Amino acid sequence: MITAQGLTKKFGEVVALENITFQVDDGEFVFLTGKSGSGKTTLIRLFLRDLLPSLGTLEINGVDIVKIKSNKLPTFRRDIGVVFQDFKLLNDRNVLENVSLPLMFRGINSSNILSSTKAALEMVDLWDKAQLFPAQLSGGETQRVAIARSIVARPKLLLADEPTGNLDPATAKLILKLLREVHSELKTTVIMATHNADLVNHSSLRVITLDKGKLTRDNQKGKYEE
Amino acid sequence: MMAAVAIMSVTLFVACAFFVIAAGSQAVLHYFEGRPQLNAYFKSDVIPTPQQVESIKSKLIATGLTEKIRYISKEDAFDIYKNLNKQDPLLLEAVTPGMLPASIETSAKNPADLKSIAETLRLEPGIDDVRFEEDVVINLTRWTNSLRTIGVVFVGTHVFITFLVILLIVGLKVANRKDEISVMQLMGASMGYIAAPFVWEGITYGIIGAVIAWGTVYLIILYSMGFLLTLLAGIPILPPPIVFMFQVLGGTTLLGMIIGAIGGWLAVIRFLK
Repeated sequence: MITAQGLTKKFGEVVALENITFQVDDGEFVFLTGKSGSGKTTLIRLFLRDLLPSLGTLEINGVDIVKIKSNKLPTFRRDIGVVFQDFKLLNDRNVLENVSLPLMFRGINSSNILSSTKAALEMVDLWDKAQLFPAQLSGGETQRVAIARSIVARPKLLLADEPTGNLDPATAKLILKLLREVHSELKTTVIMATHNADLVNHSSLRVITLDKGKLTRDNQKGKYEE
Repeated sequence: MMAAVAIMSVTLFVACAFFVIAAGSQAVLHYFEGRPQLNAYFKSDVIPTPQQVESIKSKLIATGLTEKIRYISKEDAFDIYKNLNKQDPLLLEAVTPGMLPASIETSAKNPADLKSIAETLRLEPGIDDVRFEEDVVINLTRWTNSLRTIGVVFVGTHVFITFLVILLIVGLKVANRKDEISVMQLMGASMGYIAAPFVWEGITYGIIGAVIAWGTVYLIILYSMGFLLTLLAGIPILPPPIVFMFQVLGGTTLLGMIIGAIGGWLAVIRFLK
């Protein structure tokens, strides 16, 4: 469960998020929408504890992110899968190695790493491209690899920051479909930041809308509204 | 990479060379310490009685300053003389046992006490002359201590410079991979996992540098063997034992690995902080 209470983030004089309060239950799929600069990425970075709040509290699975000691941060982050808009795959490693990274961080033995990685790549239908390098993949395939990497360790929470931002509409729909399959199969809580109104409007899922750092709407079965 | 290996090789060469020179000096010092350091000669017409010899020995032991005491009779002295000059019949013919004085050889626990032991012996009746190698041992001790101090300062300075260079070189590599490191951090990689390749890189520089440094020092020793044997005038410390040289290689490699590992680790820590 995620609980944000009066969450505020300032960068100097600039207020990126202001007094945000919401709750996301375990196993929910939530869209985080808003224009560019509305604070979506800042909120995602707070979830990852890549930033600390200026005011207010943010609890993830009962843990106040401010109280996490730096030596415990890797362990905290291992429960979170992330999909970035620009994929952030490691170009000098092949698909198999990229996807297996989160498992290696956990010190899992190599046979289990291979079986889990294979399962994740089969889920995104890319097992046949396991030996290819990121430069040899299309944009959609690269994002599917990023999704496989984010789910390979079966995290409790999956964060997707504009995962369809660089993709054509058809591929974007495919990626959303994939994320929804992951959500229903693994029962993972998914928070997907997007400003793709078409995707949101076809999904009938909860939508949290930010505008200039403020939470303006929280529609349980809502539509993309600016 | 060439720069890192080069600076590591220079530093480890300096460390290795200083260590070998210090160990050599120590061996020379031990050689001199192990020899009789003081000889008290009786007048050549005096044949000391066993009671007289025992009395002198007892007095020396009572001072608590002596390590070994040995009486050399006129006959013993002649045997030693014969042994030393066996290649020269002319010298052997010129000397008879009666011409050589009996003597007492002794060495001190501390070379600084030789003067005091000499004073004790000079007071004994029948003693004609007392000679000792106080200067050799004291100068060698002084030289060895100075060498150690200079070595520690010189090697310390080089190690510090090497740390900075490794920090800079590995730091540049870390900076080049900052995006990759940031992604790994966000995915839950531990500091150890992120730092490991950079630490190994530093260790590799250390190992390569150590082998180059040790090889250079060994080649220099072998190349200058003729000169060194003349310089050391029969002091038996050359050639250096192979086991000793491998111990030096082990120590140099360990030092290189430690410098490389700490340099690599600090470079990553500096970036992550």
